[in-house]
Amino acid sequence: MRDFEYESPTTLPEALAILATGPGCRPLAGGTDLIDHVRVGRLAPDVLVDVKKLPELNILEAGPKGLRIGAATPCFRIVAHEAIQRDYAALADSAHIIGGIQIQNRATFGGNVCTSGPAADSIPSLIALSAACVIAGPQGTRRVPIEQFCTGPGKNVLQPGELLVEFELPAPGPHSGSHYRRFIPRNEMDIAVVGVGAAVTLDAGGQTITAARIALGAVAPTPLLAEQAAQAVIGQPVGESTFQAAGRAAREIISPITDMRGTAEFRTHVTGVLVERVLQAAVSRARGGRS
Amino acid sequence: MPELPVAWKPQAENVVFGKEVSRIDGVDKATGFAKYSADINTPGTLHGKLLQSPYAHARIKAIDVEAARKVPGVKAVYVFPDRAPRTNEETGEPIYFEIEHEGQPIAAVAAETSGQADDGLRAIKVVYEPLEFFVDEFHLPRAVELGRARPIRAAQQGDLEGAFKAAAHTITGMYGIQTISHMCLEPHGSHCEFTDGDHLTAHLSTQNVSGTPGQFASPLGLDAAKVHVSCDYMGGGFGSKFAADEWDIACAAMARDAQRPVKLMLDRATELNIPGSRPSAFAEITVAADADGKLVAWDSHHWGTSGPQGGTVAPTVMPYVFEPKNRRTRATGIVTNRGPDRAWRAPNHPQACALTQTAIDDLAAAIGVDPYDLFLKNLDLTWSATSRNPADKDIYAAELEIAAKLMDWKAKWHPRGEAGDGPVKTGLGLALHTWGGAAGRGTCTVAIHPDGTVETFSGTQDLGTGTRTALAVILAESFGLPYEKIKVHIGSSKYPMSGPSGGSTTIGGVSGPHRRAALKALGRIYDLVAAKHSVDAGTLTAANEQILSAGKPVCTWAEACSLLGPMKVEFQGEGPANDGLTSAQVGGVQMAEVAVDVETGVTKVVRYVAVQDIGTIVCREQAKSQVLGAMIMTIAYALSEERIMDNATGRFVNADLQHYKLPRIGDIGELIVEFYEPESQYKKGVIGLGEPPVISGGAAISNAVANAVGQRIPVLPLTPKRILDSLRS
Repeated sequence: MRDFEYESPTTLPEALAILATGPGCRPLAGGTDLIDHVRVGRLAPDVLVDVKKLPELNILEAGPKGLRIGAATPCFRIVAHEAIQRDYAALADSAHIIGGIQIQNRATFGGNVCTSGPAADSIPSLIALSAACVIAGPQGTRRVPIEQFCTGPGKNVLQPGELLVEFELPAPGPHSGSHYRRFIPRNEMDIAVVGVGAAVTLDAGGQTITAARIALGAVAPTPLLAEQAAQAVIGQPVGESTFQAAGRAAREIISPITDMRGTAEFRTHVTGVLVERVLQAAVSRARGGRS
Repeated sequence: MPELPVAWKPQAENVVFGKEVSRIDGVDKATGFAKYSADINTPGTLHGKLLQSPYAHARIKAIDVEAARKVPGVKAVYVFPDRAPRTNEETGEPIYFEIEHEGQPIAAVAAETSGQADDGLRAIKVVYEPLEFFVDEFHLPRAVELGRARPIRAAQQGDLEGAFKAAAHTITGMYGIQTISHMCLEPHGSHCEFTDGDHLTAHLSTQNVSGTPGQFASPLGLDAAKVHVSCDYMGGGFGSKFAADEWDIACAAMARDAQRPVKLMLDRATELNIPGSRPSAFAEITVAADADGKLVAWDSHHWGTSGPQGGTVAPTVMPYVFEPKNRRTRATGIVTNRGPDRAWRAPNHPQACALTQTAIDDLAAAIGVDPYDLFLKNLDLTWSATSRNPADKDIYAAELEIAAKLMDWKAKWHPRGEAGDGPVKTGLGLALHTWGGAAGRGTCTVAIHPDGTVETFSGTQDLGTGTRTALAVILAESFGLPYEKIKVHIGSSKYPMSGPSGGSTTIGGVSGPHRRAALKALGRIYDLVAAKHSVDAGTLTAANEQILSAGKPVCTWAEACSLLGPMKVEFQGEGPANDGLTSAQVGGVQMAEVAVDVETGVTKVVRYVAVQDIGTIVCREQAKSQVLGAMIMTIAYALSEERIMDNATGRFVNADLQHYKLPRIGDIGELIVEFYEPESQYKKGVIGLGEPPVISGGAAISNAVANAVGQRIPVLPLTPKRILDSLRS
């Protein structure tokens, strides 16, 4: 493992100043991906800038305007957060299955997003729940919709010197529910072969889907917002044939690869199955079910 | 008095023998006090690392290690034997070493830090001439075409053609099981240190403490007597750790060169790749039964690879346990550029069982009968592992009955494919197995001190199976002492020789000698007590830390031992012996209940029952743990675990714990272990248990999946992809 310097700033300007010193600086949040990448030689940073002590990156607030999640918020805080469990349940689903308990105590949503793996478990949930990424940098602060954040496997829109600060999520309306589920061949602690996040809003009677966002992970170079799949259910009655239509639409837009974790054909099939099941669960939550 | 008769105590009199006891080293292991080879860090220990071939097949045209020697921190560089080009002395032609698989070691470096060792490896220049490689284990015609197939080995008996012609039911199918690695939790490797100039102490992770000093000595040009192998604790071997491996020799050689201790443990990727694998096996099988469901004919051709040696599963274990009178077996080994095989827990048996008893299950489905009834009906065709004679079919019948009760088989079983509506289908499957488990060689010295302290010295090893605890229990039961008070010394080649731990030979190999030594000691003590207290030695027994005469206390154990004189007295035990303490031949039945999601292909083991006969039980808890471990290993190879070789690069692409899919806790389901133990089993003597419970579960789980989804998924592991591919084709 290559040696690196370690910085631990306590204010955002201080952190940005260090990051501005050169491309060899890399933010360190939980480190559960980054340190492993350094260990195996995939990355060779000169300086790791620990961002866990920055207050802005540790915000976790839910209010009438929505939800703010600091980028360095570890998964366990998201799992345990009551408002998230109630109103943004897909996020809790994601946080609950990223690694084991020790990993969840350390790993952060910001880190998961910035690693920008196509199979990242946090991203489809954030897409489904319309998250915006707040990015600070030498040129000031900008906001990027989460579905535009990743640009390729391991790549994203962050420019040199920029730092992901937090996620902003709008408050879901009444009769809304969300869910994230992934397909893994084992029961737990595995990498998604396919991941699906969905958020739905129903009419007051709970019978018709009035709004929906569906996101797909591990089936394209970046996590996808599946607008066609959402269009297939918006305005439609809740039911198996509606969910199946979304599943079919989702299968149309993906471009999965074949690797040792699954063939393109297998991933395409499972994407449809998962979209149906995730929609069913999201609808059930929108109707008041907590599971 | 005459010598005490050699036997275990009557079963009813046992206090700790055969009972549930905690491991004497459990706390040490759980708290980290127990030291494994990787934990040995004597002052000045250097980091040893390997340079390995990136090619599956290549010639080494040149090696230059001089730059590596100059890297800061590098203290020793080692080139493996024959790797460097040589010249044929007679012809003057160059001789180039041929790499046979990816990861084959070429050179090693020892340095002050891990990073410096990496720097040293990077400085080594190797010129390779890549050669054609072949890692396809499955496509036999391709192997034949490329000259990679060994000649067929065939055996035939009876009137095959006539039997098939007369049969009422015949099925033909394709079956298979992929290659897996041993995946020892503790990787292979050692810490080597020279003291007094030329005395080597090697902390080696090994199944063979007594047998490895000579393996170090010879290549290093040392006297075997100057090598001490130590292995206090080790984290699994499964048949892959019998040798001082070439990287251990490298470690020792670098320790000698550097005059510093060196530790070289394989990293996980290397551990998965080079120190052993279980060969794959695939087969085309035709099997037939008469109108009553009696097996009458068998014809199989199996193939697979053990790697560069080109071996395959031994044809002698095909068909597995059930042997129709008319039969033909053929076997073809394939030469591949894949990491070599080593004995894997019950060599050949799990594969043979997975090929055979799935085909028989398919025959039952074709006839339309419950496989339980078909297996039961054909028990007179079973052979035993220790001879080609029929197995004790009554034991199998009894075990089938016990397993069926634990599984609630008769209530739950449904005809194949009739698992109801909904995407999640449940199903049941069963299979059975055989194993020898005779005692290995072993000696021990049991020392009794005048203060009553008891200790034993034996050059055996505890692979994690509980050997240390078993020795304490045997001596404690013999002397009537608490087992925690017995001092057990194992894991050193300085102790009396004991055989390698393989083939389920250890428990018999150590328990016989210890009981024999204990009985010698008891005879001596009884004589002294009889003389001192004027009682008949023939009436004496040892219990509750006392010596009793006809049940009445005569003196304490410590008082009795003080009669031995001022010095400790040692008693030697040897084995194996034909005196009834140990024997061989066990069998077992396993049943699985699975739930398969036919939309995603995910299979869950709901309940998994293992019924096993094992002769005399020494440590019940540890015996149960052996079976549980085997069941977990079985779930792994049945559902998710496999080596994935890349035909395009010749590489083992999933050699890490992220992609080499071992089950998680949530994949295991409910495990039920039941020993078949009527009185006759206790009288049978001690028999090894390491291998048998890992054999038949693969077939049982495959059969359960077939029962659930309505068709055979031919090749293990039954991954979601294989299941969906089969269901959708």
